[in-house]
Amino acid sequence: MKYNFFTELKFTSAYKEYINAHPAIREAMCLKAQYPDYFDGITEGDLLAGRIQHGLIGFSPDEWGPTAFGYYCLTTEIEKHLKENDYSTEQRTEIEEILEFWSTENTSFKLRSRYTEEMKKYLPSDDWMNQSGIAFPLYRLTGGTPDFSTLLKLGIPGLRDKITKLLESADAESKDPDFYRGLLIALDVFVNVIDFYIDNVKQLLGKETGQSRISDLEKLLNVLEAVKISKPRTFHEALQLFWLYTFLGDVRNYGRMDMYMGDFLASDIDNGIITEEEALRLVQSLWKLMVDRHTVVHNRVIIGGRGRRNEKNADRFAMLALEASRTVLAIEPQLSLRIYKGMNPEVYEKALDVIGEGRTFPILYNDDVNIGSVVKAFEFNKLDAEQYVPYGCGEYIIEHESFGTPSGVINLLKALEVTLHNGIDPMTGKEAGLALGDFNSFKSFGDLWNAYNKQVEHFVRLMAEQEVLEYKVAGETAPFLFMSMLYGECLDSGKGMFSGGIKYLGGTLETYGNTNTSDSLLAIKKLVYESNSVPKGELLQALDSDFEGYELLRKKLLDVPKYGNDNNEADNMVSKVHEHVCTYVREQKDRVGLHSYLVVNINNSANTLMGHSTSASADGRKSCMSMNNGNNPTSGYDKNGVTAMLNSLVKPRTDIHAGAVQNLKFSKNMFREKRDILKSLLQTYFDNGGAQAMITVVDKDDLRSAMKEPEKYQHIFVRVGGFSARFVELARDIQEDILTRTLY
Amino acid sequence: MNGLVYDIHRFSLHDGPGIRTTIFLKGCPLDCLWCHNPEAKSFEPQLSFNSNLCTLCGNCEKSCPNNVHQIIDGKHIINFDLCRTSEECVENCPAGALSIIGYSESVEEIMETVNKDRKYFENSGGGLTISGGEPMAQFDFTFEILKRAKESGIHTAIETCGQSTEQRFMKVLPYVDLFLFDYKETDPENHKNYTGVSNKQILKNLELILENGASVILRCPLIPGFNDNEKHFRGIAGLQKKFPSIKLIEIMAYHNTGRDKAEKIGLVNPLKDLSSVSESEKKMWINSLTRLGCTNVTFG
Repeated sequence: MKYNFFTELKFTSAYKEYINAHPAIREAMCLKAQYPDYFDGITEGDLLAGRIQHGLIGFSPDEWGPTAFGYYCLTTEIEKHLKENDYSTEQRTEIEEILEFWSTENTSFKLRSRYTEEMKKYLPSDDWMNQSGIAFPLYRLTGGTPDFSTLLKLGIPGLRDKITKLLESADAESKDPDFYRGLLIALDVFVNVIDFYIDNVKQLLGKETGQSRISDLEKLLNVLEAVKISKPRTFHEALQLFWLYTFLGDVRNYGRMDMYMGDFLASDIDNGIITEEEALRLVQSLWKLMVDRHTVVHNRVIIGGRGRRNEKNADRFAMLALEASRTVLAIEPQLSLRIYKGMNPEVYEKALDVIGEGRTFPILYNDDVNIGSVVKAFEFNKLDAEQYVPYGCGEYIIEHESFGTPSGVINLLKALEVTLHNGIDPMTGKEAGLALGDFNSFKSFGDLWNAYNKQVEHFVRLMAEQEVLEYKVAGETAPFLFMSMLYGECLDSGKGMFSGGIKYLGGTLETYGNTNTSDSLLAIKKLVYESNSVPKGELLQALDSDFEGYELLRKKLLDVPKYGNDNNEADNMVSKVHEHVCTYVREQKDRVGLHSYLVVNINNSANTLMGHSTSASADGRKSCMSMNNGNNPTSGYDKNGVTAMLNSLVKPRTDIHAGAVQNLKFSKNMFREKRDILKSLLQTYFDNGGAQAMITVVDKDDLRSAMKEPEKYQHIFVRVGGFSARFVELARDIQEDILTRTLY
Repeated sequence: MNGLVYDIHRFSLHDGPGIRTTIFLKGCPLDCLWCHNPEAKSFEPQLSFNSNLCTLCGNCEKSCPNNVHQIIDGKHIINFDLCRTSEECVENCPAGALSIIGYSESVEEIMETVNKDRKYFENSGGGLTISGGEPMAQFDFTFEILKRAKESGIHTAIETCGQSTEQRFMKVLPYVDLFLFDYKETDPENHKNYTGVSNKQILKNLELILENGASVILRCPLIPGFNDNEKHFRGIAGLQKKFPSIKLIEIMAYHNTGRDKAEKIGLVNPLKDLSSVSESEKKMWINSLTRLGCTNVTFG
């Protein structure tokens, strides 16, 4: 169907009309133009209202495409529509005009146009997915987790009262009245959206014939009508208000849902308002709506953990959430369970059941390590630190108090690669970093280490400056009304989140290739500098030719100890590389003026995507292959069994960054028949300082993959009675045989 | 003190209770037809070749001082008898197809590795297992490891074929929390034919340790066509009746996963064509053993 650009044009007109107005008013009027248009109708089976469409021009804190945040315009998509569809000359001109307008008016452009000469030189590209480079900026204000408890406590009328009072006293207290006026308009938009869905439900009811669906829709109608005029009183109303708000604020991570939903749930069930089954249906419906939001790296729901005011009720929601994740077979939401000594064992057992069914959720976070780490890394007090939540790929913030968007990625392995090539990126042949001397001029390993450090530090400084600039431009552009109404001290101070409204404005930097870099450095140290068995020139040639003709050298590199095997030499190098980058990043905060600036060592597809543009490395990794994922060893490099791997994982410090993740894989058999062993294994890992675990349960597909790509599956042992073998070393037909049997 | 080790498995779940670290020692006095670890028979390090990985590059042929390797007509021919395990071929093999099985390791090194998983042992009720080969055959080494482990509070187990002297078993007894003791064949003559030795001394040792309070799991490899017969089943049942203190009978049903191992080290697998035991056959065995009065039987 031909895209009509109706709302994009309306949005642009509103923006132009209010271009010189107060940023809060301008934002509010733009929100009014885009909503409810960008909402989508209720779909069969939905028990809650709230689906979003993909507006091509609009306003949001988060990204709607690479580099699209704040006032954004998805130029490529719009041009595609123009190319593929037949628009009248008049329409075409109109659309081209707004494209032209937004090309210099979108927030990303404004941000980039304020880059310093040095930033422009060393951060020439925003396309980290496809281009080769050491560091790239990310344009987004992501991961904010507002105060949902207050939202649900006050509801729309309560918020309106509060804001109205603040507006009335604004002048007297020298606060910005327009900020509050903007917030009130935003609440009108909220009501407009509810009205949109009320109409939507009524229309559906007119057409619906199935009795049970009619009953569901009638309930939904009552819920919508209730939350429009009063604060939520039931679990269903609370879920509904929450869900619509997440779209309005474009909040994609939901924080401690068990805490803010637990009391509603408990009260409804205990008072006979809904049954457990009905409550489960609602949560399942919410989960499905989250799936359809397709955030890929967001949709975090946090359950469990210390510091919940209503632990018992919260645990009741946690059990329900776990059951929803068990029964809704999907890759989202990213249900995350904070575990701690003394927690409800029923919740933990249930979590293991769900993981054991191969859901990969919940992700486990160990409070007994993480709270202390958050205290140290962020310099929070313990009470605040108890309210940490991981968002997105695993970055921590303090719910509705702190903010720390990852506004950049750095590829440490590329930094080493460019350093070894005296500032040139061998992938492109172009200058890509500091020229610190050629490999030959590094007379000792210490020389190389220092040069690598300098290279990394250079880019870290630029990324820290870019983070601050991003906030500055964002703060000047808009107050981000929906988030600000429930964040930090925004309401009381009359300031938007990025205009001084929150005390704890921090930032994060995503690092990639950490383990490959460390393993490479160790291989160079041992073979080039210690045993002198590999000449520098030969190593460079081998790397540049992706080991073609240097197979034996590659084997030597592979034979050097690797992270993930509980080998002190290899693990110490990882700790050293980790500590260097984490400490240097952390030191930037005072220089650039952030509450914190921290490394996150997280997982998503960046290790693979950035691997595609990273040459062969001295750890034996071939050119363009994936780099390691998070705090994990490189796939296939851990060969000493799971205890050895876990012992390695706990060595890098956890109190100098804002989150790191690790993947663990187990067989289904382990969960079904050896639950006690599994529990003691995880317990020991967590006792030893394990901060986090993402557990995949390996099934036969993994074995099949192992047969196709044996080099990646070195860690799979098969045992029958007293005989053990690495699965990948067995003959084909025997592998086939084992495929039909159990693992371990 | 050093011993000849050929592998160390951490997170081993099949050699005693809980999470264990299993040390595999090289060398065994028996020569079982069905041996699934043939690379553990010899008391010397030896060359191993994985033909699946070989790219026929010829580096081994060029580097070997003893003419062990020849690439002829696209085939890699190895004369294992000439090998002095000097490792030039291994170092020069880019594909990793060649390796030396067996390496010397000290008691201290072993204990360092074992201690790394100590907390896992404690939380899971696991510990250390010495397997092989035959651990009793590198006696001083085995004894020293067991003693150190036991004295530092680590649960200890050994997997043994039972062939050693009574004195040695008595000496090791206080330091072993669990014996995984093989019972391969009841008939002494057959035992000699299948394993190269009579079971006389083995049974003596078993009785001796049981009488002296050892904790024993009896491990019975069952090989179709060899020892899956009524007489042996009666022998197993009889042993359990005589020694009710035997904690468990573990049937180790024959499987052919180790089929190609002999070839890799230049040996011939005499049972190359024997298939793994089917589930239905296993069921029949359990039925027979139960009928004969066996209790507490399981598959290992």
